[in-house]
Formats: sequence, C-alpha cells, structure tokens
Amino acid sequence: MDQRELMTLQHYMKEYGQQAEIFVGQLELLENGRMEAHAAIEALEAMIVAEDAIVLHQIGGGASVKAKILEPDKVLLSIGAEVVIERSNKDAIEFLKERIIEMEASQKKVSETLDRLRGQMNEINKRLEAGYQQSVAAGQEQE
Amino acid sequence: MFGGLREKLLVARNRLGSSIYGAAATQSPPELGLSTGKTAPAPETSKPISPLSPTFVDKVRVLITDRELIVSEKDVSDALSELEMTLLESDVAMPVSDAIISHVKISLVGKHRKIGDSVDALVVGALKSALLDVLGSGFNLADYVRTHNRPVKILFTGVNGTGKTTTVAKIGAYLKKMGFTVVIGAGDTYRAGAIEQIGVHAERIGIKIIQHQEGADPSAVLFDAVQYAVSHKIDVVLADTAGRFHTKSNLMSQLEKIKRVMKPDLVIYIDEAVAGNDAVIRAAEFEKTVGSDAVILTKADMDSRGGAAISIAHTIGKPLMFLGTGQGYDDIIPFEPEQVVEDLLGGGT
Repeated sequence: MDQRELMTLQHYMKEYGQQAEIFVGQLELLENGRMEAHAAIEALEAMIVAEDAIVLHQIGGGASVKAKILEPDKVLLSIGAEVVIERSNKDAIEFLKERIIEMEASQKKVSETLDRLRGQMNEINKRLEAGYQQSVAAGQEQE
Repeated sequence: MFGGLREKLLVARNRLGSSIYGAAATQSPPELGLSTGKTAPAPETSKPISPLSPTFVDKVRVLITDRELIVSEKDVSDALSELEMTLLESDVAMPVSDAIISHVKISLVGKHRKIGDSVDALVVGALKSALLDVLGSGFNLADYVRTHNRPVKILFTGVNGTGKTTTVAKIGAYLKKMGFTVVIGAGDTYRAGAIEQIGVHAERIGIKIIQHQEGADPSAVLFDAVQYAVSHKIDVVLADTAGRFHTKSNLMSQLEKIKRVMKPDLVIYIDEAVAGNDAVIRAAEFEKTVGSDAVILTKADMDSRGGAAISIAHTIGKPLMFLGTGQGYDDIIPFEPEQVVEDLLGGGT
C-alpha cells in the first residue's frame, strides 16, 4: 500500500468520523426529546390526581417554588409547525405518547445508520493497520 | 421515507371517506320516503347549484333526478379539522396546511357524486390534487442542463452541518451518470478539512476538482472553476460553499461576492428534511437574503413526518429538486411530486 492510498484512507476515516459525530448528536437530541416527553407525561398524570394541583416549579439555578395549576385539565401543547393548541390533559398525554413512539422509531433508524458507518470505519481501520504494518516491514527490510 | 405522514394520511383519508358515507346514509331515498327506482327527466339538473353550500332542496332534487349526492361543508368539516391537525402534527407549515384543507374542501364540497361511485376514490383524488398543488412541479436538473448554455453554473448554499459537501458530490455523480461532464469548485475554504473532503469525493467519482489553499477567497476558487469549465468545454460547474446562517452578515456578503464573480445560473439551497419546520423557515430567510432557484433536502430517509418536503416549495415559491436518502453517492432521488403523492396516498385513484 503506497502513501497516497494511506492518505486517502485517512481522509475516509476523518469524513466518516465527522458524519458519525453528527449522527451521535442527532441521537442525543432525540433521546433528550424522549426523556422530556416522558417527564411531561409524568407531570401531567400527577397534576390530575393531585387534589390541590400544587406542583414544584423549577425556576433555574436549582431553585423551585410551589405553584398551583389553575386548570390542570387544560394543556397548551406545541403540536408542530410552530402551532400551539389547547388540549385536555388526557389528549395531551396521548399526543406525547405518540411522539415518543415516533422518536423511538427515528432513534432506531439513526442507530442503524450509525452502526453501518462504524462498520465501515472498522473496515477502513483494518486496512490502515495493515498498510502501516506493510510500511514498517518495508522500512525494516531496507535497513 | 415519510412513513409517519403516510400512516396519518391514511387515517385522515378513511375519516373523510366515512364522513361522506355518513352523509350519503342520511340522504338515501328510503329515509326520505322516496321511491328508489324512479328517475325524473334531466332538465331540472341543468339549473345552477351553489358550489359550496347546496341547500336541502338542491340535495333532494339531485338525489331524485340524477341518483346523485351532494357533499356539503357540514358533512366533512370535522374530518377536515382532523386532517388539518394531522398535517400540523407532521410539521407541515400552517399556510401550506391551510392551502391543502382549502383545496380538499373545494374539491369535495358541492360536488355531485353518483350513488355507487367509490367514496375512497373521490377522497384520494381530492387529497392528491391538493398535495400536488402545494408540492409544485419539481425541478428536472438534467433537462435544465440540456436546454441551457454550457457550462451551467450551480452554486450550493445553506447552513452548517446539513450535508452540503456530500450532496455536491452526489449531484456530481448523478450528472455524470446522466452523461454530462462536471467540474467541482471547492469553495468551502473556511471549514477545516472541507477541501480534502470534497477532493476525496471528486476522486472517488472521477470528477475534476478546482481547489485553492484553506482560507483562500472562495470567489477566486469558483471563478477558476468556471474558467476551467469554459476552456475545457465542461457541461456543469458545481460550486460548493461554506455553511452559513443567514444572520451572519459578513458571510452573507461573501456569498453576494461569489454570486457577482461566478454569476451562477442556479442557486440551490440545501437543508435537512429532519429539521422540519425549521428548514422551511431557514429556506425562506435564505430566499429573502440571497435568493435561490431550488431546494435540496438531505436525510429524507430519516424523516418520518415529511413536513419540510411538503411545505418548502409552497412556502418559498421555489421547487424542491432532490431528496437525499442515505450515505452512498446514488442515495439521491429527483423530487417528482406525482411519485411522492403516489407513495403517500398509495394505490388510490
């Protein structure tokens, strides 16, 4: 394997590495979205069963205040396309559950692509290793 | 691709269909106490009928004389509201969603339907026509190159990290496959490794690349690429540029300079389908600031909702040209509205 081929393989590795980083970022975004949706469902369910509808409301910096929900059965929900609509607590939970299913399906697809990419990177890595060893061996022979 | 939207549209389609069936049941002759077999002479039907608000008398007359039903707005209003929610939940932009609903309403309401005709065909026809209306006519790049003076100069713009450089390589491979000669100008002289990246792509697909050092003036690189194309009678120049947000005035000025120097025939905006409505908003901003002639959406294979693909052409008034669908050079498909609508609504007439 000549130096030019080794350099090309290094470029491939770099490029695949950058692509993998983007997909890892997307996976993190999806996971954050999924966790947020789960937390929202938990809060919505708790709001309905709590008799006094008092919740702890985080205001940043680790500080929280007790807040009373005036209308626990009315939820303003961002449904997409920057549109916010009012839904009942139950409908909002259903919507969030559907969103979680969608996000999990997307996570699966991104993970599959990432696995394929990592497989290709492993292949390139093997070829690079072999190339380096050939170069080292050739150098020792010359000495 | 767009699997979530396909499933939701199927639900909305069935809902519209059952609403119309429901309306048919309430208008059926036995319930009105009319004889089912009789048909009256035709002249009565030649009277004009209000297209959007058929009266009860209109409905009965048409039902008796022509054995037809008229769909009223009330019959489908709930189903249309659900369709609107479906579209918004799929990240279809509000104006686009409004346009689709309005089109479907016009297609269905006030229309005569022969008893026994397929309701599903009527609904699918209305939905297809509404979607085709907002999707526009697409953009056939190969036809464009064939019918314009060579070299055709194509400038690619867009925000960072959407797969612009890879898309330039995919377009190069596509045009090469279509029998055109191509040169790539490595105009992203800003991002570390971008020149090497496009260089590797060009080598793999066997396309000449014009490149300068990192940090060089992109206008100069792209000017050289155009000069090379002119002197070597190359059909197409693909000009890669650095990703930028429309809010960065210095980078937008640089883009203006590139446009002045290389005088592109086409400016293509690239964004990712998975960004949904954000992609639509960004495309509109780019269109306002630098202008664009067509759009390419990458990562469409990972987009279940399809909102950006449905909304972008109608929102910015520029056609969608390609959809990126994977990692390989062949993973790019020309955006053909009829095919997309067929895939979304599948099988109906």
